[in-house]
Amino acid sequence: MQSGMQARKYRLQGAGLDLALPYLMLAPGLLIVLGVLIYPLWDGLRASTRAYRYGSPISNVGLQNYLHLWSDAQFLNSLWVTVKFVALSVSFEAVLGFALALFCLHEFRGIRLLRTVLIIPMVVTPVVVAIVFRLIYASDAGMLTALSAAMGGGAVQILGNPLNAFIGLVVLDVWEWTPLMFLILLAGLQSLPHEPFEAARVDGAGAWRVFADLTFPMMRPVLAVAIVLRTIDAFGTFDQVFVLTRGGPGEATRLISIYGYDTAFKFQQTGYAAALFVTIGLVVLALAFSAIRLLRRIDAS
Amino acid sequence: MMHSSRLTRRSVIKGGLGLALASTALTTLGLPMPARAAGKKVIIGAFADGGLTPFKQKIIPLAKEKGFDIEFLEDEYGVTLEKWFADAQSGAGQYDLYLLDDPWVPQFGAANVLEDLGAGGIDGADKDWIGSMIDMGYWPPQQGPRVKGFENAKPTLICVPFVGDLQTLTYRNDVFTGGAPKTWDEVIAKGKEGVAAGKIKYPVVFRGVSGNPIVTSWYPIFLSFGGAFFDDKWNPIFNSAEGKASADFFVGTMKQNAPSGVVEFDSDQEGAAILGGDAGAIIQYSGNALKADDPAQTKVAGKLDFGVVPKQEKAIAQMGIFIAGVPKSAPNKANSIEFLKWYVSAEAQAKLSEAGSIPVKRSAFGIAKPGNRLIPVALQQLDAGALPRPRTPDWAKVEELLGIELNKALQAGSGGGAALDTAAKQVKDYLTTAGYY
Repeated sequence: MQSGMQARKYRLQGAGLDLALPYLMLAPGLLIVLGVLIYPLWDGLRASTRAYRYGSPISNVGLQNYLHLWSDAQFLNSLWVTVKFVALSVSFEAVLGFALALFCLHEFRGIRLLRTVLIIPMVVTPVVVAIVFRLIYASDAGMLTALSAAMGGGAVQILGNPLNAFIGLVVLDVWEWTPLMFLILLAGLQSLPHEPFEAARVDGAGAWRVFADLTFPMMRPVLAVAIVLRTIDAFGTFDQVFVLTRGGPGEATRLISIYGYDTAFKFQQTGYAAALFVTIGLVVLALAFSAIRLLRRIDAS
Repeated sequence: MMHSSRLTRRSVIKGGLGLALASTALTTLGLPMPARAAGKKVIIGAFADGGLTPFKQKIIPLAKEKGFDIEFLEDEYGVTLEKWFADAQSGAGQYDLYLLDDPWVPQFGAANVLEDLGAGGIDGADKDWIGSMIDMGYWPPQQGPRVKGFENAKPTLICVPFVGDLQTLTYRNDVFTGGAPKTWDEVIAKGKEGVAAGKIKYPVVFRGVSGNPIVTSWYPIFLSFGGAFFDDKWNPIFNSAEGKASADFFVGTMKQNAPSGVVEFDSDQEGAAILGGDAGAIIQYSGNALKADDPAQTKVAGKLDFGVVPKQEKAIAQMGIFIAGVPKSAPNKANSIEFLKWYVSAEAQAKLSEAGSIPVKRSAFGIAKPGNRLIPVALQQLDAGALPRPRTPDWAKVEELLGIELNKALQAGSGGGAALDTAAKQVKDYLTTAGYY
């Protein structure tokens, strides 16, 4: 009797439970992933092949939404604006971030404080950053206009001029996200081996020679990772533009995220917006894969 | 003792299940919220606008006295349409009442997400309503063209007018000493004299931001030049000769006589320009106009008067009323309909007028002491002419397309007519894709 009970207890606590427990433990996580990732993705793909129209039943339109994108002047314009924005912002952030990282590699009095101060912009909420920049750029009561007035000048036009507004948006992004680039690159620089640099100095190499022949080549993989991360992130920029310009003046700062948001939620073209976001998702994925391949090539060389 | 306190896999699973069950039970049962016990709960969603200030300050306390427990949730204008529409479509039930901008009614109506208020006992045929205002509460519209899919549908009262907002002229009485300017030419000419005399910095100010703001500022000029937006088959006709003349005047003459940064101006900046004493005249809704006599909110208290919008051909303003709809998913539907019945009663409307807000019932315009000088002027404007925007669920897209082109022309300071041609083609293409023709 006692041995029978012990055997049953062994079955329940041992083999059976051991077999089921990993799945039981995984189940909540899997359910959450299914619920918040897989299902919305599948639903979005399904929606992108449908037409939703007031007063009409939902209809299946196949790839029509995807094809229509390439004849939609507003989509093409916002895609072009986004590509320009990402290319300019990330380039400036990479150059500035690298320069700052090289500068902050040196140890001197106050360097720790300086490193801390330099990363502050990226921890400020993007919406707050956009509001502050709006207060700087506004032509009627902005800080730039006040500064100009103090020097006898007129109102400074940033947000009302297409080119200036675009540059203003890039400046905002560079101000906010150069610290991320700086942080990644500083970590990369600090992890480089000391020996090659000491040997170069012994051989009498100048600062530029050391940078061109040692630092930059050794930092290329880290730089590539930082650029890929920022590029993917910059493609999704939304809140700063939403607060600062709402895409204007005209369409000068209308990034794809703003156009997609308006299409989905303001104009209620749900299927079309889904096709737009799927397309952009694929573009960003393609970029990421290309970057990973590039990284592998760099590693191999 | 040692054995009983050991942490085993079984005890973890048992504990986890117990915790989950306990929290589910607690969530389901819940404790009665103090607010729920206080009265007939009504959750109102509104966008931030000065036009609702009298309602918030005077009518909500009154409603509380009548037994309503009002929760007033305010958001920025730019995000409310999408937020409420998502709430209504998903049936999330976060609101009992939306205070919509009237051009949004067709979108909510076409999506069939609002309650039939006529069936709820609100009388849309009451002669005391301002006719043009109650008409905006019906979907499909009782008059004018209807969009495809709704040609034969019976008009249903899905919204009721809440605050009768419309555009009127606000002007500086020390610049326009002979009273409200009657024509646009007079606005510019006398405004320039005011600038020369050092009384103001600019004759006019308006909103130039693309999309809704610039279209709202251009619209009364467009109407006053005799323009019409669509024909009865939904063909865009806003690029008529009258329309083009109004756009050229707007991006040319008006811009030259406005602040240099007007291209980026929205309601905050235009409000600051008129209330700060810089601008001579403005066409605006009641939000900033209601601040005209408050020295805490304006530098030129006593110097701002109101009038009917200037004319070229006609003196027609744009209507943009706050209009209330009850979502089908409202958690306190009966309360909100009861609240609306009380709110549109003659008694509550008179109180609204006393509080300084533009009412939606004609009788409330005639009370002995309206709370604001703007109220009788609003009635004059209604009688002179005030039109709503076209009743289509695609107005947001149409306004966006037109607003971008107008904004580009405003940047250039010319080419208003050409901008309308471009926008008309884009609107036509869009409506064709949307199956209008």
